[in-house]
Amino acid sequence: MDGNAGQSANSSSDFVRKLYKMLENPQDESVVRWGNEGDSFVVLENEKFTKHILPKHFKHSNFASFVRQLNKYDFHKVRHNNEEGGASPYGIGAWEFKHPDFKMNNKDALDNIRRKAPAPRKPNVMPEDIVPTQQMDLFNSQLVATQQQLQQLQERYNELSMHHSMLLQELIGVQKTVVNHEHVMGYVMNFLTSVDAQRRRESRVNIPFGSHTNGAINGVAPEEPAERRLPPTEEDVPASPLQHASKLLSEVNADHMLNSNKLEQLNEQHMRMNASFTTPPPINGTRSSSRGAAPHSATSSTSVSYGDLDNMVYPIGNNQGIDPMYSGHIHNIPYVEPPKASEPSLQQTEGRKKSSAVDPGWSRQPQILLVEDDQTCRRIGGKFLYAFQCHVDSALDGLEAVNKLNAGSKYDLVLMDIIMPNLDGVSATHLIRQFDHTPIIAMTSNIRSDDIAMYFQHGMNDVLPKPFTKEGLLSMLEKHLGHLKKHPQPPSLEMNPPHPNPSAAVAPAPAKRSYRSDDSPATSPATVSNWNSPGPGPLGVSPVSATAPHPEDPYLQGGPAPYALGPQQGAAGMPPPPVQAPMYAGLPPGGLGPRPPQPQQHQHQQHRRGISDISGGQPDMGDAKRQQLYGAPPGHMGQQQQHGGMHQGGMGRPR
Amino acid sequence: MAPPTQQADAKSEDGSAGPSGLPDFHGDIDPDTFEQILEMDDDEEEREFSKSIVYDFFSQAQQTFEKMDQNLEKRDLAQLSSLGHFLKGSSATLGMTKVKDSCEKIQHLGAKESADGSKDEPDEDKCLESLKKIIKQAKDEFADVEKRLRQFYEPA
Repeated sequence: MDGNAGQSANSSSDFVRKLYKMLENPQDESVVRWGNEGDSFVVLENEKFTKHILPKHFKHSNFASFVRQLNKYDFHKVRHNNEEGGASPYGIGAWEFKHPDFKMNNKDALDNIRRKAPAPRKPNVMPEDIVPTQQMDLFNSQLVATQQQLQQLQERYNELSMHHSMLLQELIGVQKTVVNHEHVMGYVMNFLTSVDAQRRRESRVNIPFGSHTNGAINGVAPEEPAERRLPPTEEDVPASPLQHASKLLSEVNADHMLNSNKLEQLNEQHMRMNASFTTPPPINGTRSSSRGAAPHSATSSTSVSYGDLDNMVYPIGNNQGIDPMYSGHIHNIPYVEPPKASEPSLQQTEGRKKSSAVDPGWSRQPQILLVEDDQTCRRIGGKFLYAFQCHVDSALDGLEAVNKLNAGSKYDLVLMDIIMPNLDGVSATHLIRQFDHTPIIAMTSNIRSDDIAMYFQHGMNDVLPKPFTKEGLLSMLEKHLGHLKKHPQPPSLEMNPPHPNPSAAVAPAPAKRSYRSDDSPATSPATVSNWNSPGPGPLGVSPVSATAPHPEDPYLQGGPAPYALGPQQGAAGMPPPPVQAPMYAGLPPGGLGPRPPQPQQHQHQQHRRGISDISGGQPDMGDAKRQQLYGAPPGHMGQQQQHGGMHQGGMGRPR
Repeated sequence: MAPPTQQADAKSEDGSAGPSGLPDFHGDIDPDTFEQILEMDDDEEEREFSKSIVYDFFSQAQQTFEKMDQNLEKRDLAQLSSLGHFLKGSSATLGMTKVKDSCEKIQHLGAKESADGSKDEPDEDKCLESLKKIIKQAKDEFADVEKRLRQFYEPA
């Protein structure tokens, strides 16, 4: 038997053998024993069994799990409820289990006791539960992995696009520098030309004299005149190295502009792409080629002629249209977009609250710096700007404005009062122009033509007469922030390019300075907003009256420097310096070249008249008087400084 | 500032008030300029924004006038000109046409010019004399405007 048992033990289950062995132990009969018929076994005392017997044989003390195990081997609990009046013959707490092949004294039959399902060690119940959860786990981990991958890609993409933006910005910066250098070259060239001209003039004076002495000494007079005759024909022309250099310059310039154009396009695309997935209403990609509507409507009828000009020039001149020096482009760089993307909609809802709020439809909230010492003006101006969905920062005087810009604050537009304590607006602009080209608009009641000429000379881009109106302010914004509109216009066509190289442009200025600080005529046009730049800058959207269609032309054509006649000639939006250089450079030699102030003055008078007509206002009465005043000696500059000093003197006015 | 004044007169003749329910200021205030400030008020009953600006201007003007008096005594023409310019800006922004025009004259006279700024006036005594008159005038004009505006904001 034993041998059999041993044999059978090999083929029978461990559990069953342990079970059988457990029942063979007579000491435990009071706890667990064979049933009365020998075909079942009974657990008499559940508690003792669990605590003492189970650990001994099955290394655990969990009755439930023991029962489960039994079930797996197809043992069944014997129920006595229905038979014999429901009472177990072994007592109330007894558990009787039974298997057909589990019988006392029949070890061989144990071999027949198998787990219910042929499934391997892992029980039957498990697979149904576990396999799905396993799969779920798998899916989950895959999902997580994918998500991580995606996130990584996203991060990588963001990083790359930021780098891209930074590179673009850098590139634009480099371009700016290049352009600046080019301008410097231009000025140097110009200077050289004038020096050259002077030298030639001198030589012209000297040569005849020299030839005489030569002739007298050498006695070869007959031949000399023929030789001498040659140089005079050249004398009107600058030295050939100079010509070469200027030609080179103009060629290089054109090439450069072509590149920057592409770059800007890239930049714009990038921005639009970014905007299209950050803002719900994607930017309307249609670039109106007939760029009539928005900006021009704000201005006067003359813009038509400019429109024609644009249509004519733009497709041909690659170098037209985008001013790489315009620092506003930096703000177009999109990596600052996402956080701001929600702002427009927010602003819009805010705007709708008030009937007075106008939403000019910015693609991005314009950042405006309002420089104004007077609290009243500052608050009202700020309120208007806010109503136009602009973000307003304010500075109390020129010094603060310079500091803000110098500290790296970026603005799309600066509105600058002129007369302020500590540092006046013109000086502030002059300083700012040493390092920044953000459009600066003079905001002042001193709007006489000579004042205005001076504002422009020092690098201001426009004039908003005080007291300004909402409309005037808005049209000024639209004019200079056209690139921030949702329907992008070719930006710089709409705006005055900033005064390019203030230091150079300003150098000869004292000759022209005739600043009368505070005497605007007793009456001033109230609602005027736009002033055309007297500078040769953009044939933009200034409301020049029809009588003065192309005020810049005199400058464009009058420039004595040969290189200015290059490709820039027809290009309106081009960086003005090459053109401007001659204008200023022409001054010091004294009456050399066409001096612009006179025509300029007339333009202003005309603008003025045109504007006051538009505003339905008064006839410009002070014309004759102003003409007179215009001729006033330049000594008035001193006055202005005096005033600055007065302000500085500290009136302790409330701010 | 002549045209607004004319418009204001025209309006007062019509007896029509502006779209913002602007009362008749009889040319003391340029309605167009002032209305666009009123339009900025969120609440047409409270008029918080414009009221605070206008009332701030009142105290600012009061202070400026005091300083003008001090500088009149000190015969500090330059300061007077500067003060005139200062008050000119804010009064113009608020559409207080008459005050603004007077301030401009103060500015000119302080700069030793004729009141309209058309020619130089080197005689300081003359300038000071004119300044006294014009500052008095400006104060009166300001008082008128102030009264009207206080009535507008705080109807009794």
